[in-house]
Amino acid sequence: MDARTIIESLTGKFPEAISEAGIESPIRIRAYVDKEKAKEVCQYLKDSLQFDHLCSVCGVDYPPRNELESVYHIASYDHPVVLMLKARLPRNAPEIESIVPVYWNANWYERETYELYGIVFKNHPNLKPLLLPEEMLGEWPLRKDYEGFPNKTARNLV
Amino acid sequence: MEEMLESNEMIIHLGPQHPMQPGPFRLNLRLKGETVMDADVELGYIHKGIEKILENKTYLQGITIVDRICYLVALTNEECFVGCAEKLLGIEPPARSQYIRVILEELSRIQSHLLGLGEFGEFIGFVSMFMYTIKEREDILTLIDMVTGARVTHSYLKFGGVRDDLPAGFKEKALPVLNNLKKVISDYEEMFQSDRIYRERTAGVGILTADVAKSLGVSGPALRATGVPFDIRKNEPYLVYKDLDFKVCTETAGDCAARVQVRLNEMRESIYILEQCFDQIPNGPLFPEGTPYGRRTPVMRVPAGEVFHRVEDPRGEMGMYMISDGTDKPYRVKVRGPYFPTLQALPPLIKGTTVADVAAISGSMDGCTSEADR
Repeated sequence: MDARTIIESLTGKFPEAISEAGIESPIRIRAYVDKEKAKEVCQYLKDSLQFDHLCSVCGVDYPPRNELESVYHIASYDHPVVLMLKARLPRNAPEIESIVPVYWNANWYERETYELYGIVFKNHPNLKPLLLPEEMLGEWPLRKDYEGFPNKTARNLV
Repeated sequence: MEEMLESNEMIIHLGPQHPMQPGPFRLNLRLKGETVMDADVELGYIHKGIEKILENKTYLQGITIVDRICYLVALTNEECFVGCAEKLLGIEPPARSQYIRVILEELSRIQSHLLGLGEFGEFIGFVSMFMYTIKEREDILTLIDMVTGARVTHSYLKFGGVRDDLPAGFKEKALPVLNNLKKVISDYEEMFQSDRIYRERTAGVGILTADVAKSLGVSGPALRATGVPFDIRKNEPYLVYKDLDFKVCTETAGDCAARVQVRLNEMRESIYILEQCFDQIPNGPLFPEGTPYGRRTPVMRVPAGEVFHRVEDPRGEMGMYMISDGTDKPYRVKVRGPYFPTLQALPPLIKGTTVADVAAISGSMDGCTSEADR
């Protein structure tokens, strides 16, 4: 399965939900997904396009656009193409459907993204901090405007 | 977990200081007699915030930071980080640099597997194995030290090349070590197979099937032991791996013994790769000519863009997602370590086994908690 087939299949199946789909290289493709449809698109990727290997889930902070992005890297054990799927979320209320029912190993990635960026994954089986102590919940340390815990000391360090 | 206890059940906590796992994480087991009813992993004890630090350091400083993600595989971490920046910069290291990188990364794979084998031996009570492997690993580390000047954290790769050339007489020093290692690997194999206790503690223990391993997101030797020939060096060749002849080692059983066997065979393949590299390595510059990149590039601006680069780490698939906004510091670096999903897969794998097998199973996964925590 090559990059062009995948992009055509994806945009053909979800003309509304997929935007800015493009090919970066023969083994790298990218697309934006509507946040309401993320889980449905992942299910289709897994069932019909052999994307059975979730590499990672992560967040990215864009304060000037007042947006957070939830980024999924999805690959396959069968073909070499890696898809970068991104969802735009408003910075003041970032919420997206969890993809744990589709990809089992999204569980910890989503917990990590939640505690570091504050992105809420709806219907996640156990959305609680994974790496950080619970009193840091609400600090969202990987956001660009984070200043340090608890006395804003990190600003002096970096 | 405590609330769900029945009267004949108990909870035991393994770690953070238990020698069962190198590096601090805690494994809470709910036991009924000797059977593990439920398991729960707690980590975060050594969270270093590497992704945040990388956002605040220049690209060149970042190389020293990624070394510390897992210091057993510092060179592969560097390869992934440097590879991301090179893709964004649109440069490719010259052939000689690529061969030197392959040589060092394969040596690094061998030393990581040797330590992994030794530690696994220790977990199942085969303590002398650790003594044997640590001795051989020392010779490999000496070879790496000759080139990079450091034993574990090297800061050796540079954007577009490597910091220094191989020292004179490196091949002559390396080949006897590798020939000796070939013999030693066969000895290990024989030692394991002739040991009845070893066989009974590993064969048929912690069986992972191919479908389950895929759905758990496992990669590396743990996945290849189930029969899936997934290796980034073959699936998505980087450096000069496409010019080198090697095979992807797989086993079919998917148990602890198969995972150990995959690592033993992989060391043999790495030696074979190294021998080819020593024969094929061309002369030439270390950095691409006609570009400003070289041994001294203190300030480097990287064009805006984003890239996801994967390399084959001794533990599996190491990927980094780098976003650049055109300044001299990365905007965002996400590290996708190979051990994170493998550690996540541990609770379902040990559920239903006995408490003595927990050490064997988690040891055969060859974990580095530091890398999972980052």
